Amino acid sequence: MRRETGHVECFCTVGSVTLTMRAQNVLQAASIRSQVVSADAAHAAKGCAYALSYSCSQEPLVRRVLENAGIHVRSFYKGES
Amino acid sequence: MIYFDNAATSFPKPMAVTEEQAACMRKYCGNAGRGSHALAMAAAEKIFECRSLAADFFGATGAEKVVFTMNTTMALNIAIKGLLKRGDHVLISDMEHNAVWRPIEALARGGVITYDIFSTFAAEKDVSEEVICREIRARLKPNTTMLVCAHASNICSAVLPLRAIGRICAQMGILFVVDGAQSAGHVPIHMQEMGISALCVPGHKGLWGPQGSGMLILGDGVLPDPLFQGGSGYQSLESAMPSDLPERLEAGTLPTPAIAGLCEGIREVSRIGVEKIGRREKELSRALCEGIRTLPNVTVYTPHLLGSVLLFNVDGLPANQTGALLDKMGFCVRAGYHCASLAHRTIRTPVGGAVRVSPSYYNTFSEIDRLAIAVREIAIRQ
Repeated sequence: MRRETGHVECFCTVGSVTLTMRAQNVLQAASIRSQVVSADAAHAAKGCAYALSYSCSQEPLVRRVLENAGIHVRSFYKGES
Repeated sequence: MIYFDNAATSFPKPMAVTEEQAACMRKYCGNAGRGSHALAMAAAEKIFECRSLAADFFGATGAEKVVFTMNTTMALNIAIKGLLKRGDHVLISDMEHNAVWRPIEALARGGVITYDIFSTFAAEKDVSEEVICREIRARLKPNTTMLVCAHASNICSAVLPLRAIGRICAQMGILFVVDGAQSAGHVPIHMQEMGISALCVPGHKGLWGPQGSGMLILGDGVLPDPLFQGGSGYQSLESAMPSDLPERLEAGTLPTPAIAGLCEGIREVSRIGVEKIGRREKELSRALCEGIRTLPNVTVYTPHLLGSVLLFNVDGLPANQTGALLDKMGFCVRAGYHCASLAHRTIRTPVGGAVRVSPSYYNTFSEIDRLAIAVREIAIRQ
């Protein structure tokens, strides 16, 4: 049986669950849907971290909105959800 | 039983508070910030909701500035010990609870800091805020780095002019730490407008949340050193606590059910309105004062400062005995020194302290009348 591959999404690693939720709120205010997830180990730097997953088509807007809100993003990356 | 000890902890809680606590325990009490499974995230969302509500309620700049603690005492210890450095000088008021005085005194005894006490003139009538401000300015030293004070006293409704004090602190570049234990939910507080660097509040008094909940809310640029080290839910490979708020100051598992309940408490207080709540409590205290102060052997302390708290004694009867008699008659009040020896010294209560009555928004005038009758009975028997 063929295993279905996951959907490719974009992620940004924020850090704590609180800051990640704040970032999610900021994106929501800009009508960008996102979900709080555990960041991939490779992108979690000092151990575990939280990230937001979102549609890659919205990446430029995500970067702009978070930067304008003063939210520091540790890394942006692509992966399977 | 009629409960009049809301300055110790509010009772009863609104139904929404207890229901949300129970719902949390039944439906979504995962460990927030530990993993990203459905239950952990559900708990994290409720906690974030409470942070956001609290930040709005107190005029803070963001949810991440709200640090959950067990109570005001813990919040004050984190603020005081996390912000002061060796050689600092601190000002505190003469009405402070032991939650302020003891950590300050401990640091002073250890040779870390020095401190002075400024007078609030709480025992005197018609003292303007200018007099208090002049008193504060007179006690400032070149190495003064912090002023800590209670917004409202826990024994007599004395309320300090936070805006004016905040202006002094801002002008002098001093940290302004506020003990909001008796004002949160009773008197409006806006951190940004008042220039507050760190606000320490309980969840379980005027915000109608459960015991085990409290908050340290920080101003911009204020970053105490952590008092506790432990798990923070992220950056697990690091040996130090993270630098970001609020997790920097929240080691270990948070009391999620308590925070869930607190969320609803803040919501309910917001719905009714802090000013409306404070007004009602003042009216209740005033009614009690009118009912007992004309008795020849009853002393009501600072009757010119009536608010959420009334302090009295039946002359010649130790306060604890008055409290015990009232307890037998079905009234919950607190007698003694109320963990506030500085304040009792300022108000000049006798040995044994006094009896404190602290009604809530939910008490009635009929209950106040019954208490007044009980006090009169005790006074007459003396």
